[in-house]
Amino acid sequence: MFRRLYLLLGFLTLGTVAFGQYRGWSLDSIDQVKNVPKSVRDNPGSYRSVYSAYHHYTGGK
Amino acid sequence: MSAGKPPLSGGPPRPQVKALQCPKCGAAIVLRTFGQAETVACGSCRAILDAKDPNLAILQQFEIETSDIRPLIPLGTRGKLHGTDYEVIGFERRHATVEGIPYPWHEYVLFNPYKGFRYLSEYNGHWNDITICKDLPSVEGGFSAGSGSAANWVGETYKHFQTTEANTDFVLGEFPWRVRVGERATVTDYVHPPRVLSSEKTDKEVTWSIGEYMYGREIWDAFRLPGSPPEAEGVYENQPSPLTTNVQGIWMAFAAFAVFLLAMMIGFDLLAKKEAVFQQTYHWERAKTAGESSFVTDNFELKGHPSTVELKTWAAVSNQWMYLNYALINQDTGQAWDFGREVSYYQGYDSDGSWSEGSRDDTVVIPSVPPGQYYLRIEPEVDPAVSAISYSVQLTRDVPVLGIYGIALLALLVPPLLVSLRWYTFERSRWSESDHPPVQISGLTASSEDDD
Repeated sequence: MFRRLYLLLGFLTLGTVAFGQYRGWSLDSIDQVKNVPKSVRDNPGSYRSVYSAYHHYTGGK
Repeated sequence: MSAGKPPLSGGPPRPQVKALQCPKCGAAIVLRTFGQAETVACGSCRAILDAKDPNLAILQQFEIETSDIRPLIPLGTRGKLHGTDYEVIGFERRHATVEGIPYPWHEYVLFNPYKGFRYLSEYNGHWNDITICKDLPSVEGGFSAGSGSAANWVGETYKHFQTTEANTDFVLGEFPWRVRVGERATVTDYVHPPRVLSSEKTDKEVTWSIGEYMYGREIWDAFRLPGSPPEAEGVYENQPSPLTTNVQGIWMAFAAFAVFLLAMMIGFDLLAKKEAVFQQTYHWERAKTAGESSFVTDNFELKGHPSTVELKTWAAVSNQWMYLNYALINQDTGQAWDFGREVSYYQGYDSDGSWSEGSRDDTVVIPSVPPGQYYLRIEPEVDPAVSAISYSVQLTRDVPVLGIYGIALLALLVPPLLVSLRWYTFERSRWSESDHPPVQISGLTASSEDDD
């Protein structure tokens, strides 16, 4: 029973990997925004990234 | 035969039980084996009698310190094992002493007039169904000391488990041998769960028997005993693993999946387009970007099916940082992927020597981007100490993501690891009671045999 379940898990995993590769899955998490106005093309400053308030690392050893 | 009891297996005429009196105490002695028993022990006065003698000559009188020794299956109880009716005719308690501690177990003699004798043993709730071997096993390394490393019997190899001195300290009922209290034998067990191959060596003879593990519930059902069997304690030497899975088979399946996964990784890597769709180098100057620093790129086209888009950023930073707010925007649908990437690189020298931290380039993979016309909105932010810096942006469509294979491999690895851990824990418990207990060496586990 366990062996069958494991075989099922294995084939599901391989299938998922194949599907994910074909569909372009990635491990990076990227925010999606819908309906960005077309005016951004002409006026890039009209759009502000959610990351623009990021506090930058100023380190070094 | 006692009234009210079911007959034994059908066939020849029903044998008769012989009722006699104990010559010592006068108590009734019942002989159920029709002359096949060698000795019979009186349950009243603890006298061992010669069952072959019409006058039941007294062979031994023994004392027992405790009177609480009672067979879990009363003498005279009948049950069906392997489709054959058997009657319990004898009971004995034996013990082995290890490091001064006695470990007692119980043995039951079963009898069927057409099939002969069979035995049951019970230790801490663990049962074995035992028969005498008709074929002589062969022992690897010789049997002179009573304990080879393994024994072979009818094509199966049994690993040596333990050799111990067994001492009989209580008997009741009939026995097909000249049983004596105080009788000693060297017992050697070889295991191949669920079977155990045992030899009993006395001064006169060596007897081999084969036992098969039985659960208490099976015994209770076979003999229709009331109540519940005693709970089994610990792991017994030939107890079958509760793990019904073949551990080796699971690992073989894992290996096959890993090979498939590797083949898929190579295949998808070969098939991936890795198509460069945009590449540009920019020069940022603080003096020229006093106001709005964001800008957009020219349009570029992503073709084919939804796929990954890899964005690589390179910046000429040295003990500086640069941060780029990106938005990959679909010209037609307004759908955007919004993210920020930092490129920072620091280096120097200290008492430990040279050091460096960070990198001048950065890579991110945007998932499942549909085909269409796109442009990038880029908003650079630069270390205040920097007045000018060059950086480049490169977009590549349909790149394989190798990390997915790593996750898949881990997902496939977890079940075999868990199964192996469970198997290992069970086997460790089993062998910890043997002459070859596992030992812990600096965090690594090995059998004590390895040290020999």
